[in-house]
Amino acid sequence: MTAINNLSLVDRRSWLKGAGLSLALPFMHSLGLSAGAKSAKPPVRLAFMYMPHGVIMDQFWPKNQENFLNSPPSIIKSLQPVLDQCLMMKGISGVPTSPFNGAPHALELSTWLTARLPDASSRGRINIAISADQIMANYVGAHTSLPSLELATMPQTWKENQEGLHEGYYSYCSYRSPTQPVPAEIDPRNVLNRLFGKRGEDGRVTQTNPLDRQMLDRVLGGARDLRRTLAKTDQQKLDEYLHSVRSVERRIAAIEYRQQEAALEKAGVGPSKRHATDSAPIEVKIPEGDKRSEYMQVMCDLTILAFQTDTTRVSTYVGSRPNGASYPELGFTDQHHSQTHYGKDQEKIRKVAEINKFNVDQYAYMVKKMHALKEGEGTLLDNCIMMWGSGLEDGNKHRRDNLPFILAGKGGGALKTGRFLTDVKGNQGDLLTTLLSCVGVPLDRPIGIATKQISQIKT
Amino acid sequence: MTEQINRTFHRDILCRLGLVFFLVAPCRAETGGDLTDETALRADARKVFKGKVDPFVNKYCVKCHGSRAKAGINLQSALKNPNGESAALYWKKAAANVKVHDMPPEDASKFPSDEERRQFIDSVGKIKYLASRDPGPFVIRRLTKTEYANTLRDLYGVDESIAESLPEEVGGEGFLNSVSPLQSELFLGIANQVIEQVVAEEGQVPPAVQKRLFGKPPAQGSDLRKEARRVARSLARNAYRRPSSEAELDVLVDVYDLARNNELNHSAALGLMLKAVLVSPQFLFITPAGEPDSKEKIVLLDDHQLASRMSYLLWSAPPDAELAALADQGKLHKPDVLKTQVKRLLKDARSRALFDGFGAQWLRVNELDGQVFDPKTFPQMTPALRAAMMEEARLFFESIVRENQIVARFVDSDYTFLNEPLAKVYGLKQSVRGSKMRRVKLENPNRGGILGMPAVLAATSFPNRTSPVRRGVWVLEQVLGDRVPPPPPDIPELEEQDHKEVEGLTLRQRTELHQSEATCRNCHKVLDPIGFGLENFDAIGRWREKDDEGLAIDSAGKLSNGKGFSSPAELKGLLARRETDLARNLTERLMAYALGRQLEGYDQIVVDRLLTEVAKDKYRVRSIIVEVITSYLFTHRRI
Repeated sequence: MTAINNLSLVDRRSWLKGAGLSLALPFMHSLGLSAGAKSAKPPVRLAFMYMPHGVIMDQFWPKNQENFLNSPPSIIKSLQPVLDQCLMMKGISGVPTSPFNGAPHALELSTWLTARLPDASSRGRINIAISADQIMANYVGAHTSLPSLELATMPQTWKENQEGLHEGYYSYCSYRSPTQPVPAEIDPRNVLNRLFGKRGEDGRVTQTNPLDRQMLDRVLGGARDLRRTLAKTDQQKLDEYLHSVRSVERRIAAIEYRQQEAALEKAGVGPSKRHATDSAPIEVKIPEGDKRSEYMQVMCDLTILAFQTDTTRVSTYVGSRPNGASYPELGFTDQHHSQTHYGKDQEKIRKVAEINKFNVDQYAYMVKKMHALKEGEGTLLDNCIMMWGSGLEDGNKHRRDNLPFILAGKGGGALKTGRFLTDVKGNQGDLLTTLLSCVGVPLDRPIGIATKQISQIKT
Repeated sequence: MTEQINRTFHRDILCRLGLVFFLVAPCRAETGGDLTDETALRADARKVFKGKVDPFVNKYCVKCHGSRAKAGINLQSALKNPNGESAALYWKKAAANVKVHDMPPEDASKFPSDEERRQFIDSVGKIKYLASRDPGPFVIRRLTKTEYANTLRDLYGVDESIAESLPEEVGGEGFLNSVSPLQSELFLGIANQVIEQVVAEEGQVPPAVQKRLFGKPPAQGSDLRKEARRVARSLARNAYRRPSSEAELDVLVDVYDLARNNELNHSAALGLMLKAVLVSPQFLFITPAGEPDSKEKIVLLDDHQLASRMSYLLWSAPPDAELAALADQGKLHKPDVLKTQVKRLLKDARSRALFDGFGAQWLRVNELDGQVFDPKTFPQMTPALRAAMMEEARLFFESIVRENQIVARFVDSDYTFLNEPLAKVYGLKQSVRGSKMRRVKLENPNRGGILGMPAVLAATSFPNRTSPVRRGVWVLEQVLGDRVPPPPPDIPELEEQDHKEVEGLTLRQRTELHQSEATCRNCHKVLDPIGFGLENFDAIGRWREKDDEGLAIDSAGKLSNGKGFSSPAELKGLLARRETDLARNLTERLMAYALGRQLEGYDQIVVDRLLTEVAKDKYRVRSIIVEVITSYLFTHRRI
């Protein structure tokens, strides 16, 4: 990793000095703007949306295929109009938690996309595995101005370390490398600004400063000297930052390129990447109040917009973090976690079911909207896989035998939707491995504890 | 409702505690010596380890805790590397379980005698002496969000809120402050905002800060590039917190040239140069001034790095002119100079950072702000009252530090800081008017000290009621430094309590029913008495004689050492007398915070020696801070 970073640092520098415009080339290529752009298939995108603490199972799982499509259980009711675009499968187990049995909630999030336990011999530090979304970002990220998008509903700062595990395991589900978690953005305004450029008071997108990219390039060059004087572990820390500086450099280049592309298109001399029949990019409005549903919906909208405009192809949204969260909008102030230890308490069961439904409702909002947007020969949803799920089956006893997942979208034709599979035998690593294969990401090794692909879900 | 409370309560316990309850007190030290002592102790430890620990583990433990690593504990690897990173945790768990006869388990084939157990536990306490002299790893780190904001404030006069959009850090070892691809532009964006505020556009009057940073406009016909290099040198000295190399200046002048070649005027070009400074790793990371020229594996921090390490610890801000000058003169590492500087920094208002970063985390009041309280039960819990509670905790902490009071005062004191809304929580008759916080003398012995402090009492409560268990755990962990283990797998369900059966019972009596369960008894018998000793304080810290159900509160109990108490005041008194435990807990936590990592191996030896030193004066708190900063661990680094 270190060697590669260093190498690309050198390359980037000499390369840039050679040709000012060459930076735009990879984008031009990736956006399919070379010959035959119009017939190119839309890219396949993948999104993950998370809810902690599991579900009330008998209100979540359909009884059978018929029940799934025609009279779905209450928690997933809002998905009914698009259930033929969805796929549910029972029988996906979680990562066995021993020796960290005392840390179910730190693990439910941190293992969700890694399908692996943290390293037991260095519990005080983050040391787990690269997550599925970041594996995809590594593969397709260079094609878009943002390699991946990470969103969350609330600050990720739960302070507790059970089993001696670093408290970061409570907060992160995306990991760029085993030791590098990726924090999620919680402010929709920041997301909008950074996805599509800052808007001035007149509503127009502010121009980026063309000198910034070249300035950053010189800073990166200078950092090489600093790097040489540092110890190896220090160099790794430094590289994390240099990596982010490089990505800023890239983003500026991408924005410049987009502006150039738009100008050409406007002048009628450039090819349009969009099909004439594609729906126009959706309008995103940042809500004024602090209603959770509106807030989550704007995050969903931002995901849709990012996919629609091919700004990124992989997105992870931590819809609610483990512990800490309450749902005042539902009329109660109890914390989600304390309600999930319901035992036989009907009142708590009702509240948890409502929380589950609330979360699925927001997901349904996103999926339905995507199904209404045209793209290429079909809908936007057709070219995406949107996964919703939790890291526990049931918060009451911390079970992980049948993790709740919902998949929506056909992944460009890879998934066969409209089905409820009652007895899939596999684990969450198998599922993630299968999904990455569906979106065309080749893997040199299975994800986490995976041993196979779950072929039943494919076409 | 009763049942609901009860079950929540039980869950509360189950989630916090283990089936096997054990308290691990760190092994007490008996050192006070120099390097010769260290060598002798190491030789002795080697002998003891070979003679007692090794055979015991091989005979009774490795069958399950070898490569099979049952419960994640691998004592075989711990034998090979007794001071390794995870070994310390394994040893602690092993000693604790052997002590309470939970290990070897009932179905084992061989059992150690009581004498063997005692010797094993004693010997494990000596393992730390095997560690050789080593300050531990010291990895460079990026400034935290707070440090970054304060640095921009101190150097460029901008408001700290400029950094608001940065993601919150997740604490823990070494602070995790990585950024996502989406967020990577933040530093550039914030740098842009700084430049906008600091550098005037052409034709406009430059603000004072621009004049301070860039100097007077150059005279007609002067060498602008030379001028730019001079400015670069001064900008980099402050921003990099050390003198910069000529190569670093070359980079900055290169940026200046870039701007000039693109038709920017002199001051706008200096602006771009300043922007480059602000996104440079030398600014965002605390980096050494250069490669150490010695062949040593362990070196003294250079004075500039020491100045930064110290000012970011105590102020979360960069070194000021005095510290920087001492570093430039190479005097800072001298012990008497360093001590004087610690005391000076602690007097400065910026040292509130020590509470914000460390104190609040230690007392676990840092999340009070976001904690939910049922507005129907506690309508008075307004943001203003929460803020006053935090202020009280902060001012109290600072008064103890600045007045160099003894550590026991944290637990037992006769004053606090109040404003009018907070005085109401205290039920004070005397007049405290207005929102301004002031020092108030307390007559009620139940108050005074962190145990009777509303911020703490509220932070350890549920939205609508107290949690004696949380409070018990808080006292054991945060005050005395014991460890309360996480729950074991597959906790059995408690029998649901019959409504009729528990009717008319107090929370305490209902909780005590849990002690009839064998699996819960071990935990409850230690936690309950302490937690219930504080039951006279409600969930936001008001005094009460009766509980939520209108039943009289019984706050009498015994500590695990058999000492009895019958009120919060007496509990306070008992805990205040355990000053050695209080001091060790505070010192270990502060040392770990200062080093940004967990303590292990040689660290324990340093902490032991430090405690012996401060014990001579009854563990004064500022002295502890001075000793931590002047310690071998803080002033050295391993290369």
